[in-house]
This record gives sequence, C-alpha cells and structure tokens, in this order.
Amino acid sequence: MSDATDHNGLPRENLLEDELLAAEYALGVLAGAERDAAERRVARDGAFARMVEAWDERLAPWAADIEEMPAPPQVWGAIVEALPLAPQRASLWENLALWRSLAVAAGALAACCIGVIVYLAVQPPGAPLMASIDGGGRHHFVATIDPRRATVAVAPANYSADPARVPELWLIPADGKPHALGLLRADQSVTITIPAALLPHLNHAATLAVSLEPPGGSPTGAPTGPVIGAGKLTNL
Amino acid sequence: MDLEANRSLIAAALTRIAAGDRAALQTVYRLTSAKLFGVALRILGERGEAEDALQEVYVTVWRKAADFDAGRASPMTWLIAIARNKAIDRLRASRRSRRAEPIEAASDLSDDAPGAESALASTQDHTRLHGCLRELAAREQAALRGAFFDGNTYEELAERMKVPLGTMKSWIRRAMIKLKACLER
Repeated sequence: MSDATDHNGLPRENLLEDELLAAEYALGVLAGAERDAAERRVARDGAFARMVEAWDERLAPWAADIEEMPAPPQVWGAIVEALPLAPQRASLWENLALWRSLAVAAGALAACCIGVIVYLAVQPPGAPLMASIDGGGRHHFVATIDPRRATVAVAPANYSADPARVPELWLIPADGKPHALGLLRADQSVTITIPAALLPHLNHAATLAVSLEPPGGSPTGAPTGPVIGAGKLTNL
Repeated sequence: MDLEANRSLIAAALTRIAAGDRAALQTVYRLTSAKLFGVALRILGERGEAEDALQEVYVTVWRKAADFDAGRASPMTWLIAIARNKAIDRLRASRRSRRAEPIEAASDLSDDAPGAESALASTQDHTRLHGCLRELAAREQAALRGAFFDGNTYEELAERMKVPLGTMKSWIRRAMIKLKACLER
C-alpha cells in the first residue's frame, strides 16, 4: 500500500479529487471557468499534467472508432502561412541564459568571421560540420564533426544536469530514424567516434539531437526520454 | 494507414520539428492529418470549423513539439489529445453543441464495436478499452460516449439524458474510477 492510499486502499481524498479533475479535463466534460482552471493547472502543476496524460493514454485508443477523413489540400497551405518562424520563439526571447550564450557566440563569431569567409571559398570535401543542439535556450550543446576522422565533439554550452538521467546524442538522417552516437557529459566536452556506416549521413539533411536517458543510455536503441535539444548539421 | 507501425517515424519527426524542421512537420501532417481531421470533424460536426481546428492543431504541434516526451506518451496519444482539446475549445467558444438530441441509455450500443477499417482498432489497447467499457452500466457508457465523441459538457449530457446535473457528474466520475481500475487490472 502506498502513501497515496488510506487503510482501505482507497485513494486519499485530495488525490482522488485531482485524479477525477484530470479525468474530467481529459474526457472534455468541463466548460467555462472550470475548463480554463484545469488548463492552467496542466501548465504549472507537473503531477497534475502527468495525471491528465495518463487519462489521455487510457482514452486515446477510443479514437480508433472514428473514421479517418482526408483533410482538404488548402489546410496544409494555411498551416504553413500561420507558422511562427521557429518553435518556441516566445520562450527564446525570454531566456536570459540563451542571450548570455548568444553574446559569447557573437564574440567568437566576430573573431573567426574573416577566417570563415576565406574557408568557405575553398571548402574541400569532408569539410567539418557543426550543429547547435538547442532546446529553446534551456539546454544547449554545440557539436563539431570532423568527417575525415569520423569524430563528433560535443561541448555543453548550457545544460542543467538531471539527477536521474544522462544526456545521449543521436544522429537523425533524412529518413528520420535516430542512431545512438553516445553519452554526453554535463561538465566537459566529449569526443565520440562515429560508426563508419553512418558517415554517408553526415550532410545538411541530418539532425543531431540530445535526449535524456537512464544511466548507461537508452536500453532500446531508440530515444526513450524527452528530447532536450536538436539542431541541423551546417557547415562550420 | 497503419499508424502504430508509423509510431517511431512520427516520434522521430516530432524531434526534428523541435529543431525547426518544416519538412518534419509536413511528414507528421501527411501521416496523421486524416485521423485528426476525423476526430475534429466528429466533435465539431462542420467541415469549415474542423478545418480551422486542424490548422490550430498543427500550429500547436509546431510550437510544442519539444514538450513531446517519447518515453511517456505515444505520439498518436499526444496528437489526438491536442486535436480533441482544440476541437472542444472551438465548440465551447461557439456556445453551441451540435449533438443535442436525447440519448437513450438503453440504446443499442452495437455501433460501439471496433471499426474494421481502422488499423488502430486492432491494437491491444483498443481491445482492452472496449472490454472495460463493456463492464460499465449502459447509461455510463452512453454518457462517456457523448463526452468523448460529441464533445458534450456535463450540462449537455444531463440534458440529453434527462437527469439532474449532479446525477450526471456522479455517473461520469464513478464510471471513470471503474474504467481506470479495470484498465489497471
């Protein structure tokens, strides 16, 4: 019997109330101020949000009974027009840590700018690539790839370590299937050897992403935890 | 379309959306928009409204892709919840409910059977959910269906089933507790 239950094994009253509110919100029977209040609570109360997610998971299979219906082609065009420039732009503007890292990056950029201009003009095949693995400013890793040595070096520019999970690096080629590259560190740069089979995927269609995984890395070979940052490969 | 088989493809595309990749959003749209349009249309009952809701759904997916946690939720569950919530928000804002005709609690529930045309219908979760729904009283099942498929509020369900609001609340709450207990067995 857990702390969350009384001596009869029934949920304690406030927990039961939360559970029922989560069920009502997920089912959709609330209206007006009650629905608004539940929505706000999802945004600020993680435990409550998990309860709502669990109810979504329980109810979602019911949607299989709803017939699929092709959406008219103009909907996609309307979506593209309505898109903001990048996901989570609002939170980026508010993020102090990102501004700090941008200030540092801008300084570094100015210093190497002239070198880059010369370099781009004479870029050989197998030229280095980089990715800014950005999770909206909260987490930020910078990766540089040396295709000739088949290595990727990843430095934590901004990362608050998770006590229970470790950051794992993934290469996601154009086909969208993530390949594990290795575990990263919160306190120092890590250099990882890229498997030969993945070398052909080191191009501008590929993305590097970081997810949080159990110690030792993802047990399944695919990301199992939240993706805390991702960035496309670009020329250095 | 076999959505479950595409689960990892959708999850990976959501990862790329978080990095600002529009092609990845298009991939998710291609794989899921027919299901989500069906969900929105079922709740809103009108194509124009459902199209607007669908647009809001994918703009929300674009903004919130970084919140998706593949370790906690299946991508279809996450997307269906967004679609239902956007459709319900629109329904509430329009201050009307399409489905208001009386519900007979004892009505034939045979249309509750899994749709053979849906690939999702063959999943284990779907079979289990239907098994647990069948354990509920007919009136409880009918009330939950009105909420899930028609987007009805407590008030609307009470009216449709001709019972006091308090009675409807206790039916639904009791049904949800029973449903959870059954699904966790």
